[in-house]
Parts: sequence; structure tokens; C-alpha cells
Amino acid sequence: MARVEARDADALAELYDRHCARLLGLARRILGESGEAEEVLQEVFLFAWRAASSFDPSRGNVLTWLLIATRSRAIDRVRSRKSASRPESKSLEDIGEGPASPDDVEGASVGRQWEQICRGAVGQLPEDQRRAVELAYFEGLTQQEIADRTATPIGTVKTRVRLGLMKLRERLRPYLESGSDGA
Amino acid sequence: MAHSERHEELVAAASLGIQDGADQADLTRHLAEGCPVCEELLRDFRCAAAAMAAGVRPVTPAPDVRLAILASLGPSRASAARPASTGAWRVFAAAAALLLVAVVLDDARLRRQGEDLRSQSAALAGRLQSAQTALAERVLRARVLESDDVQMMLLGGKSPQPGARGRVFWSPGAKRGILVASNLGALPTDHQYELWVFLNGKPVNAGVFDADASGHALFESTVFPEPGAQNFAVTIEPRGGLPAPSGPAVLVGAPA
Repeated sequence: MARVEARDADALAELYDRHCARLLGLARRILGESGEAEEVLQEVFLFAWRAASSFDPSRGNVLTWLLIATRSRAIDRVRSRKSASRPESKSLEDIGEGPASPDDVEGASVGRQWEQICRGAVGQLPEDQRRAVELAYFEGLTQQEIADRTATPIGTVKTRVRLGLMKLRERLRPYLESGSDGA
Repeated sequence: MAHSERHEELVAAASLGIQDGADQADLTRHLAEGCPVCEELLRDFRCAAAAMAAGVRPVTPAPDVRLAILASLGPSRASAARPASTGAWRVFAAAAALLLVAVVLDDARLRRQGEDLRSQSAALAGRLQSAQTALAERVLRARVLESDDVQMMLLGGKSPQPGARGRVFWSPGAKRGILVASNLGALPTDHQYELWVFLNGKPVNAGVFDADASGHALFESTVFPEPGAQNFAVTIEPRGGLPAPSGPAVLVGAPA
């Protein structure tokens, strides 16, 4: 990231090559196949180029930083849609547990450790907590909307979201603090 | 306010950007009062939530996305210090070249649009000029025609312009008159038409005017003579006019 901050285009190209598939996967997961995901991807890397100095390794690794930026932009677009074209929610089992395509090979080396740790942490969440966090993370639903969607009291939803994030935090704490992601 | 589980719920919602307005206000107030636990949670929850993305299948973007990003970076240190040193730079250079082509094509398109706009602007200016002329004629006519003492006389064509026709509207009280003529012939540039008012059988100069390309003329005389006009005539005179008619009369009135 120091090289990106120093306006090294090669460094940004390397950063892109390392993380683009993961970020586009997230944007596609949130936005669907509308083509907006690619726009979000471009926005994120231009953001990284212009705001590299805002990256703080003590607050997480580069991939997490880019994922947060991607998710934030994608959710903003979802919320700006006035139509009811929001993609249907899918569970994690439906999206990403299948075999990787040949195009996914690049993601198999860099970030594999991060992926395994995160998948493990998410996989250990109780189903109701994971579902609540999924709806918030991928669809940007408010807690009230999650309550409506799952026919659950809002107080319960708040608790599930809090406990879910708390458990993820605890399981990822060493990794979050290490600031390493291969970037 | 002391830290509580409720604040952790607020932080959890805020870290995902799903908080309600009232909750947002409560959390802002709480953080403003100073709560290092919530500050740390807010930071950690945002990163922890990113773990949800680990289960998403990666999708390799089309090559043009990479090109578009690299081409839009603007000046970079690498491009200045290490030209053609890496494959990435060559891709960047190719992308920049593509961008340049796009810019040139776009520039050509903009030039064409500019020419079209200039042409449209000229056409609109012509139409505006015509509209302004028509409006001026209407104003002139209204000024005289709405006078209480307005009078009118028809003028017929004479050799060498027998097809010419004219009407004179005048207001003795306002000392103004308007000549509306048509089918007037084109004149040499050193000649003009001159309007005459006959008072007691003698022609009095009322001004000179030109006809347009279609032979039409609308002329307001502001030097209209004293009341008592008996007849009107239009002659062809040297440019600027003469105190007494010298050329042929092309329009002559027919007093009732």
C-alpha cells in the first residue's frame, strides 16, 4: 500500500490482480449481474488510488479495507434502487461453497489463509445469527427489515446481530490485529 | 452514559450501516461522551463483518475493467521513473493509448457537435432577426393605426414598376405615417426610393427607404409634414434623396 500511496501504478495493478476477483464476487453477490458490480470495482480501486493514505494497517488488512469499501458502495447502490429488482437472498451454502472455476485460481494462493479463517469463523456462527448478519451485510436490510423478513422480534434481531459480530470478532481477532493478507 | 449491551447493539448495527435514525443519534451521543469500548468495537466489527465475504465465489473481471482502471489513474510515479519496465506498465501504456484514441474520437465528435450547434445558432439568429423585424412592423402599425385620426390611402404602380402596390397610413395629429409597399423593383446601390407628401399640390419630402430582396418595404416617416396631406407618391432618387422629386414615380396615390 505504501507503493500505491506513492503513486506507483504497478503497485495498484498488483493490488488489483490480487484482490479483484474477490471484490467483484462480493459486488456481484450484492448487486447481481446488472453490470453495476464492475462499476463498483472500478470505484473501489480508484478510491484505493486516491485515498491510499487513509489505509491504517492497525485497523485491519488491505483486503478487509477493500472489502469494506466494496460492500459500502454496493449497498449504497442497492438502497438507491427504487425498483423492486433487488436480487434474491442466497445463503452462504448457495454461493461460494462449490468448486472454484479455473478463473478462480488466482484467489487460491493469495488470501487463502484469510479465506479459510473467515469461512471457519462464519461457519461456526449459530444459524440464526449468521442469517441475521448475512441479511444485513449482503442486502443492507435494517434491523427492522430483518425482523420483518424473518418474522422475528426486533429485539431478538439486534441481539443476533450483536452476538454474531462479537463472535466473528473474537475468532478473527488475531488475524485482524496482524494486518497481514498477503497484500 | 455507562457502556451497556444496548450500546454494543447500536455499534453492531452502525458497523453494518443498518442502524435506524434514533439509534444513530443515541450512538453518536454515547461516543461523544467517550466510550473506548464502543470505539474499539466499532472498528473491529467493521473488519469482522468483512469475513462474511469470504464465502462469496470470486469472479474474475473482464480485462477491460483493469484497463479502464489503470487508464484513469492519471500521473503515476512508476510511469515517470520506470517506463516499459514491467508488463503492467505496458498494459498501462496500451490503456493510455486506447484512452488517447477515445479522447481523439470524442474530440472529433464534440467538434461535429460544435459545428452543428453553430449552424443551428446561425439559423436561430436568422429566425430571431425575422421575428424582431415582424414585431417592429407590428409595433409601427399599431402606433399609427391605433391613433384616433388614422387615415389610409392606396398607392398604385406606375411605369417602370406597374406591378408595385402600396398603402399609406398616417395620423395628422401624430405627424407620423407608415408606407407599406410590395412588388418594388431592385434599385442600383446608389439609388433609393423617396416618399413624397403632396400639400396644396406640391410634393414635400417625407424620407427615403429601401425595399428588401422580395420587393417589400415598410417605412415609417418621422418627418411627416403638417396635417392636410392630399396625396402621396414614391419616386426613385439618388441615395439620400433630393428636396424635390427628379426620378420616375413608381407609386402614386389615388385620393378619394
